[in-house]
Amino acid sequence: MLEIKNVSKVYKDGTRALNNVSFTVQDGEFLVIIGLSGSGKSTLLRCINRLIEPTSGQIILDGTDITAATPTELRQIRRDIGMIFQQFNLVKRSSVMRNVMAGRLGYLNPWLSLLGIFPKEERERARRALETVGIPDKANNRADVLSGGQQQRVGIARALMQEPKLLLADEPVSALDPATSHSVLKYIEEINQASNVTILCSLHFLSLARTYATRIIALKDGIMMFDGGPDEINEKRFKEIYGEDAVRV
Amino acid sequence: MPESNNSDAAQSPRLSSAPWLAAALSLPIPGLGQTLLGAMGRGASIFLAVAISIAIILWQDLASLFSLIAFIWLWNIWDAYSLARGTTRSFLPPLFATLIVVYVSGWIITEIEPDKLFGQADRAAPIARGMLSPDFAEQESESRKERGAFEVHCSNNPPPTTTTRNDGATITLSSSCGEVDDTLLVEGNGFWPNLETEIWWANPIGQEQRLTKAGEQISITTDDQGAFTVEIVVPLAIPLSHDTGEPQPHAVQINQTRIIGGWQISENGWLVIEKMGETIAIALVATSFAIFFAIPLSFVAARNLMSSNPIMLLVYYVVRTILNIVRSVESLIIAIVFVVWVGLGPFAGVMALTIHSIAALGKLYSEQVENIDFGPIEAIRTTGANWWQIVAYAVLPQVVPPFLAFTIYRWDINVRMSTILGFVGGGGIGFLIVQWQRLAQWEAIGAAFWSIMIIVALLDYVSAKARERLV
Amino acid sequence: MEKQKETQLVLRYGRNVIIAIVIMVAYAFSFNVTQIDLPRLVTDFPKAVPIIRDFMTPDLLARAEQVESYVIDYPVPCGSGQEAAIPTSGPRIVPSQLCSEPKAVITVEGFDLKPNTDVQLRWLLPGDRRLRSAKSTTDAQGYFSAEVEIRPIVAAKDGNVTRLETELQWESGSLFPSETLKITIAKIVETIFMALMATTFACFIAVPISFFGARNIMGRGPIGTVIYYIARTIFNLMRSIEALVMAVMFAIWLGFGQFAGVMAMTVVTIASLSKLFSEAIESIDEGPIEAAVAAGANRLQAIAYAVLPQIIPPFIAFAIYHWDINVRISTIIGFVGGGGIGLQLQTWINQLAYNKAGTAVWAIVIVVIILDNVSSQIRKRLV
Ligand SMILES: Nc1ncnc2c1ncn2[C@@H]1O[C@H](COP(=O)(O)OP(=O)(O)OP(=O)(O)O)[C@@H](O)[C@H]1O
Ligand SMILES: [Mg+2]
Repeated sequence: MLEIKNVSKVYKDGTRALNNVSFTVQDGEFLVIIGLSGSGKSTLLRCINRLIEPTSGQIILDGTDITAATPTELRQIRRDIGMIFQQFNLVKRSSVMRNVMAGRLGYLNPWLSLLGIFPKEERERARRALETVGIPDKANNRADVLSGGQQQRVGIARALMQEPKLLLADEPVSALDPATSHSVLKYIEEINQASNVTILCSLHFLSLARTYATRIIALKDGIMMFDGGPDEINEKRFKEIYGEDAVRV
Repeated sequence: MPESNNSDAAQSPRLSSAPWLAAALSLPIPGLGQTLLGAMGRGASIFLAVAISIAIILWQDLASLFSLIAFIWLWNIWDAYSLARGTTRSFLPPLFATLIVVYVSGWIITEIEPDKLFGQADRAAPIARGMLSPDFAEQESESRKERGAFEVHCSNNPPPTTTTRNDGATITLSSSCGEVDDTLLVEGNGFWPNLETEIWWANPIGQEQRLTKAGEQISITTDDQGAFTVEIVVPLAIPLSHDTGEPQPHAVQINQTRIIGGWQISENGWLVIEKMGETIAIALVATSFAIFFAIPLSFVAARNLMSSNPIMLLVYYVVRTILNIVRSVESLIIAIVFVVWVGLGPFAGVMALTIHSIAALGKLYSEQVENIDFGPIEAIRTTGANWWQIVAYAVLPQVVPPFLAFTIYRWDINVRMSTILGFVGGGGIGFLIVQWQRLAQWEAIGAAFWSIMIIVALLDYVSAKARERLV
Repeated sequence: MEKQKETQLVLRYGRNVIIAIVIMVAYAFSFNVTQIDLPRLVTDFPKAVPIIRDFMTPDLLARAEQVESYVIDYPVPCGSGQEAAIPTSGPRIVPSQLCSEPKAVITVEGFDLKPNTDVQLRWLLPGDRRLRSAKSTTDAQGYFSAEVEIRPIVAAKDGNVTRLETELQWESGSLFPSETLKITIAKIVETIFMALMATTFACFIAVPISFFGARNIMGRGPIGTVIYYIARTIFNLMRSIEALVMAVMFAIWLGFGQFAGVMAMTVVTIASLSKLFSEAIESIDEGPIEAAVAAGANRLQAIAYAVLPQIIPPFIAFAIYHWDINVRISTIIGFVGGGGIGLQLQTWINQLAYNKAGTAVWAIVIVVIILDNVSSQIRKRLV
């Protein structure tokens, strides 16, 4: 269970990106966060694994206060939280295998991992992760020869390596075309259903959100505007979230 | 298509089914087995590594490194065997062995002796001191030398013991005549006060020597009134063989130097300024000359303009080859020819730099011409523009900014180059540097050094900014 | 409004005029101090002809020297020894007198020798000393004649008679690499190694210190900023010194030779590579670092997985590029005491042996062009 309690984030330049946000996510939920560009979606997701330090508030994962963790504890906690990025964040020159392995760094012996030596079971795990996302044959390719959808699937495989309890996905499909978007989200959905991994995913398109989410949260200027099921978003809500002139897609 | 490790070997099914044959082929000629298995690059690299290592070892007579060759050779056989069986071995071990051969012999050939860096630190000390106290500016100062007469071998009429100078300063000797090794008390009054003062001895023919006591140079400081007292010993100031026993007119000499003005540029400083100006001027003129020749050449050296018929293509190849050859000769070497041709001086440097720059700019320009986008040319042509209009609206806008950027870049390089042309008589600051190196005038070299650093770094910065705006 | 536009126009016009004047003054000054004298290029061209011709005809190959010599006893003064017996046919040397007194002048003729060949006459003095005498060339019939002065030193000593040697010298046989070519090759290899060692040493130092000159590593804090600016300033200042100027100092410190050249190049290369490396570090993609950190990696692991793979290829590319540059520099660093082919080149130039120098220059051209191509190929693959 993930509890977000009164989290606020004020950037150094005074931007108030999150304003007293609170909600609770049950295990196994597929929670989608929607909102306009600049509404604070990335900030919220990054606060959860403290890639960004929240200014105030508490974030509690299964009873552990993430906001109070020491650096060592934080690394332990982060091992349980996978993350998928909008721009994939792969090392383009490295092989797919090495990129996937990076997801396991929190578990590996630091010195052996520096030398690129991995136990057999880890390599097996990586192969399985690549199989899960449907690209087991790309393991030895350089990451930059893959298509965008394939690169994002490598990103998912990297997160799978962590065997996470919680998976954060920050606009995982906004760099992809609609058909590829669906296939990538399907993989995420599969992880959610097969392994009961909690998903927190930010998306731009309401239609995608309604297809995959079990629950939707909407942000506007850092304030939570909506929290409810995917069917509860009607025309009025939509206008509240996206502004008067928006058209539904 | 899925990739597999043995895709290379798959091309040669017969050899890949006979790993021992592959190994046997690599035994006499390293890399042959790999090559025949289809791994051309691998085979060639192995062969080159072995060949180069052996050549160096034989040349430098480094028999002790043969074990490494043996290692690479054996590895190569094993690798051929493995490759035939479908496994690609890591090439790091033989690469490492080759690197050891290369660096050990490199160390020996280039006579690297790190202990010299510290063992000869005494030689570096004056250089470092010179760098830290460059002789660029000095404080204006005045100095005085006052003498009090002293006779070695007393005559009947020895000079007075007290000498009074124009400004009232007096030198009083305890005795105004005597013998070598006599002890003498020197008293001064009315000198410049509170100043380091040196005591010298002048012999009858005016040669001066600084007086010492117990091996140390005597140095005293005058008091508030400009007075001092010091004990000296009459030195042997002319060779004994010249001593006839006749009275000789020697003198005690008091030297003082005091600072009277602010900082001013020293003589060497002016030289540095003059030659730095010359250095920059050489670069400027050479770059400008080079542009005139490089622009027409660049069109002749552009493949897209020259491939319409075989003769033009031939011209293209000839021009390109000449440009490449000239470009690879440093301007310093070209300067040697011009020094013989037009004589020592900046003009020789200008010509050398011009020739080199024509080649360098010619190549850079021609690459730009080759990159011209024909889209805009067509677009302008369809509007019914004439040839000149096409050049003005579609060609020039494409080539002028990069041409300018490269020219500025070249000028920048040329300034650096012209700092060394003087080493062979081509003008510029390099001339001063070699001169001063011979005279071990490290303070002066320091001034030149700092001037080059600051001016070149500044020009570098300015030209980088200018290029940024152009591109 | 109109007024304002007008003043702006005038201002711009004025600025352009000032820039034009400054440029003109700069050129006037430059032409003046550089003593441009273009007509001299034509009038003094004859002076350049021999050196250019020699440069164009490098000394690459030689043939074996063949020597044939004929030695006869020649008593000076007469009676100091046995006179030589001269054969009447076949190749033979015939002096006009079979013996003579000191200071006499005799004529030496040769018959049926190898035609059109250089002839050198020599006295073989007692005690293994030699004294050169007349020179000549045989004609098509293999005949020559030369006047020889009998100098007093030629006199017999202690009963040992002086002998007259006639040596014919010509080149024949197959071509083989000349001595000059051998020296050139050895020196050019030495030069390549100098550049290699300098670049390698420089890498060892430049790799760690380049991080101080990378904005993204040093951060925006006060200490980081200060270190960043200091590092960048040092890189820029040191970069602007030519390796040859450095060599002037290292040659005195370490003695003339390759080591001084290597150290001079190392210092300049450190500065230059550090700058390039810092820029490479600055241009890395931060995304993968974030990803590694999000997965629980520690700092070291984040560097190994997300930073190194991004910077190693450009580092290698820059290092190879600099090796290439250093090979060019090391061809001339010998001029100021840095060793390598430059030193040899200067020696030959000082001896006015321009065709030997030409050999060195052509070797430089070939090596530089080859390395230039090789290095750009490797770099293309790396990036
Ligand atoms: N490092 C930062 N410093 C200052 N302000 C920032 C910083 N990062 C984000 N912001 C600001 O915080 C607000 C929220 O940004 P955030 O990136 O969380 O939005 P988002 O909802 O993810 O938008 P998008 O859909 O465009 O990714 C924006 O106004 C943004 O400008
Ligand atoms: Mg975002």
